[in-house]
Amino acid sequence: MPLLSILIGLFCGMVVWVVLDQVQPRALRQIFSEELNTRLDQQARETLIRFENYVTAHTSATRLLSHHRQLSSYLEPIYWFDNDDISPVIYYENPPWLPSSSLWRPLIRPSYILLLDRKGRTREIFNVGDEVLPGELLTVDELFLDESRVRAYLTRFQDKPYLLVSDIAEDATDTSMGYLMVVAPIESAFLNASQQGVSAEGVVVGLLDADEQRFLTSSDPYSVLVGDSMEEVAENYLVTAQSFFEYGSDFNIQFATMVLRSVVEATSQRVAGVERRQRVVAAVTFITVFTLVFYLLSERLNRMLRRMSRFSRLALGGEQPVIESGNQVFVVEDWIRQFIRQVRKARDEMRLEHESEMQESEALKHAITEAALDAVISIDESGQIIEFNHTAEEMFDHRRMNVIEADFQSLIIEPGSYGQFQNLLAKFSSVQGPVFTDARSEMEARRADNSAFPVEVAIKPIQLKDRMILTVYMHDISNRKRAEQEIYSLAKFPSESPSPVLRVNRLGVITYANPASDLLVKHWGCEQGQTLPQYWRRRVADVLESGKDSEIELTCDQTTYSLLMAPVPGLEYVNIYGRDITDVHLAEQQARQHQQELVHVSRLSTMGEMATGLAHELNQPLSAIANYANGCTRRLKSGDGVHDDLVYALSQISSQADRAGEIIRRLRSLVAKQPPVRKVADINDLVREVNSFVVFDARKSRVVIEQELSLEHLLVRVDVVQIEQVLLNLLRNALDALNEVPEPQRRLAIRTSRLSSGSVLVEVDDSGSGIDAEAAVHLFEPFFTTKETGMGMGLVISQTIVEDHSGQIVAEPLPEGGSRFSVTLPGYQVSEDK
Amino acid sequence: MSNQATVFVVDDDQAMRNSLKWLIESVDLEVKTYASANEFIRDYYPGRAGCLLLDVRMPGMSGLELQEQFIEQQINIPIIIITGHGDVPMAVRAMKAGAVDFIEKPFNDELLLESIRNALIMDVDQRTAQSVRADIATRLAHLTPREHEVMDMVTSGRANKDIAKTLGVSSKTVEAHRARVMEKMEASSLAELVKMAIAAKNAKSS
Repeated sequence: MPLLSILIGLFCGMVVWVVLDQVQPRALRQIFSEELNTRLDQQARETLIRFENYVTAHTSATRLLSHHRQLSSYLEPIYWFDNDDISPVIYYENPPWLPSSSLWRPLIRPSYILLLDRKGRTREIFNVGDEVLPGELLTVDELFLDESRVRAYLTRFQDKPYLLVSDIAEDATDTSMGYLMVVAPIESAFLNASQQGVSAEGVVVGLLDADEQRFLTSSDPYSVLVGDSMEEVAENYLVTAQSFFEYGSDFNIQFATMVLRSVVEATSQRVAGVERRQRVVAAVTFITVFTLVFYLLSERLNRMLRRMSRFSRLALGGEQPVIESGNQVFVVEDWIRQFIRQVRKARDEMRLEHESEMQESEALKHAITEAALDAVISIDESGQIIEFNHTAEEMFDHRRMNVIEADFQSLIIEPGSYGQFQNLLAKFSSVQGPVFTDARSEMEARRADNSAFPVEVAIKPIQLKDRMILTVYMHDISNRKRAEQEIYSLAKFPSESPSPVLRVNRLGVITYANPASDLLVKHWGCEQGQTLPQYWRRRVADVLESGKDSEIELTCDQTTYSLLMAPVPGLEYVNIYGRDITDVHLAEQQARQHQQELVHVSRLSTMGEMATGLAHELNQPLSAIANYANGCTRRLKSGDGVHDDLVYALSQISSQADRAGEIIRRLRSLVAKQPPVRKVADINDLVREVNSFVVFDARKSRVVIEQELSLEHLLVRVDVVQIEQVLLNLLRNALDALNEVPEPQRRLAIRTSRLSSGSVLVEVDDSGSGIDAEAAVHLFEPFFTTKETGMGMGLVISQTIVEDHSGQIVAEPLPEGGSRFSVTLPGYQVSEDK
Repeated sequence: MSNQATVFVVDDDQAMRNSLKWLIESVDLEVKTYASANEFIRDYYPGRAGCLLLDVRMPGMSGLELQEQFIEQQINIPIIIITGHGDVPMAVRAMKAGAVDFIEKPFNDELLLESIRNALIMDVDQRTAQSVRADIATRLAHLTPREHEVMDMVTSGRANKDIAKTLGVSSKTVEAHRARVMEKMEASSLAELVKMAIAAKNAKSS
């Protein structure tokens, strides 16, 4: 395997190198030629600039000379006439119009310096060199001159290039005399001087006639000959030609820079050598790197495969791939794919398992928190709420989303309980480490509407990796508190009760009696802790035995109690709940009495109305009869009675008498219609009954009715209602009579007894005003009354009733004052019915 | 005068009406009977001389109601109430309301006739007083306002001088007014004038 990988690495390195090697030299050569061109251009520009600088030096020198005092003072006395014969003065030594040659010689290399007159004709010539002045310069073309300034000009005389620099020559009075012209042939010396020896090796400059493509001069007259054509020169040199723009010329002269080809070749050779070396280095580098990379990769891959196969064998139970012949890469790929599948499957399974566990735990936790009967609120150490369960929402009336991150204490705890809560919290902040106890306390919490209620608060800390969470469990204990209060107040209940509440044990000992039962206890003649009277002991035992509630009424000292005796079998107690029913009794009696009164009144008024009606009815015919009779009497007395009239009146009397008789008959038939009703009854019962009717009135009049009733049954056969009516009348009359005497004297007694004859006697005694003798006579007459509102019928009717029952009613004054009414009724013998 | 007077009898019972008529006519008095109060009101006009015998207990308009109506209309006919036994409270009410007498059935004829005679005399007296009052009123109407003033002051016992001072006139003028008042009022003396003034005041207040 390593060997193979090394071979593959070598091969790959080679291939990469070969490919890259194809590209690299070409690029290198291109870069080289571009660089070469640039350098040539630069060389050309440099040489041209040097040349031009040299020309400028000539221009400056010319200016210097033309303005030199020597020239102006020389020209002062001279005047050139236009039509003078021209025969130029030629100097070979320094002429008088030039300063010392040491001043300008280092700067320029002229062949001649000319003085020209205004027409351009040469007047004086300083021949600096030894050459012959070209004939063209004897009369200088105006083309070369400029009247206003110094001027440089390139031109050609007899195929030789010249530089002409002219400037205006003036005498001392500033009168323009003509021109000073410096003439310099451009030859190899000039060119070399222009380059000042800085030119690189193998670089030649020259001037080229662009039209003829022929060289006019060069800095190396041996290599580049004057008159050589461009082609000839290009064989050995790389030529760069540039045009002049400054020096207006009548010929198309270009400046040429030539670089010897051999010099370029040498450089090129050098570059190629470097290139080769680089190629070798690259080849070695590539091959080495690739080989190494492949080797390391394969090594790494091998190790990984081995580990995977081990893992797959151990963890996933997969087969270790068998390296067979064939495309092993495919085998490995398949195997890796299979491996990955297995890994993925295993991972999915694990994730599913984990997730379901998480969900279960989450659901469990959620269910526990949400279903918790307590409010469960989680807070962090700073007291911020981080969880708020459903019960808490209900208990405090806050929405969970609104309170998350709110401050727990200020939101939930009643300000009065801050201290308690802080104390509770302090238990956790002071204890560091894993040992925590939970803490609980009772305090006041408040709802969203600021209403406070008591809660029990328990705090459980949960220590997380980097912080602590406190779970606060809050339980609403207002119900419990209320219940406690209720139990407490219930305990006080019986003592506060306005009704008697007692507890008596089986032996009849009063184990508890509340203050309201004082009256009862006194009535029984005992105190708390003492035993009840015999009768009540028995009743307590009965109730306990029967296990049923029993109710009994008891009157003591004008107060009537209803006592409910409720047994408590397990404890062998009887609870006695008393209820003051005096008023109820009274109300019942009153109601009954009112009813009776109503019956009585209606009965009486019927009788009274009947009587009144009867009187009125009878009055009519009787009055009429009286009137007629009286009328007759008067007429007869006065003697003017007419017979017929009297007869009429008498007949009227007769008919009115008939009318009265008719009324009486009608009344009688009415009475006859009611058959007597007779029932056997005990007169004592009747007396009691009637007594109850008047109890209220009696109390109003502060009269106690004394009942002295016979112990034996006094049976009578009577119309009960009628006899009751009689007794009621007597009692009422007695009460009315008592109202007329002062309170202390008022006494009323009703008595029943059996006479020796077997008759039954009822006596009603009162201590009232009594009956005077006159009244006694009319007592039983109709419409006799001593009362303001009386009808005078009561006793009449009573008498009628009693007599109807074959009895007697008698009134008599009592010796000590007051009166007695006695009613005698025949007694009823049981044997009568048999 | 007594011949013009009529005894009006209102009773629902025909026998009663007829018998009363028979009795009262025996003393030569004019009697007119009516079966109901309404019947009587239709027939009666104020100013008729006589008296009224009225049964308190009647169907329709009762005697008391009729009496109240008379009081409202200022009819001054003297009323004698006839009651049955037991109607005493009603009779008392009637007396309080101005009835001259009440008589219980059955009647004592002497008492009844006596009562009627008294009532008729009362009627005559009332009428006379009424006509005197009417005379005085007529005479008073003839006085000028100033004479009225003078009369008021004179009858209230003020001296002439005092009156002159109050009215801002001379006592002579007062004297003249006073003389004219006496003349117009047909008063022969100051005492008579005072009597007239009192009668006039009573008439006004009643």
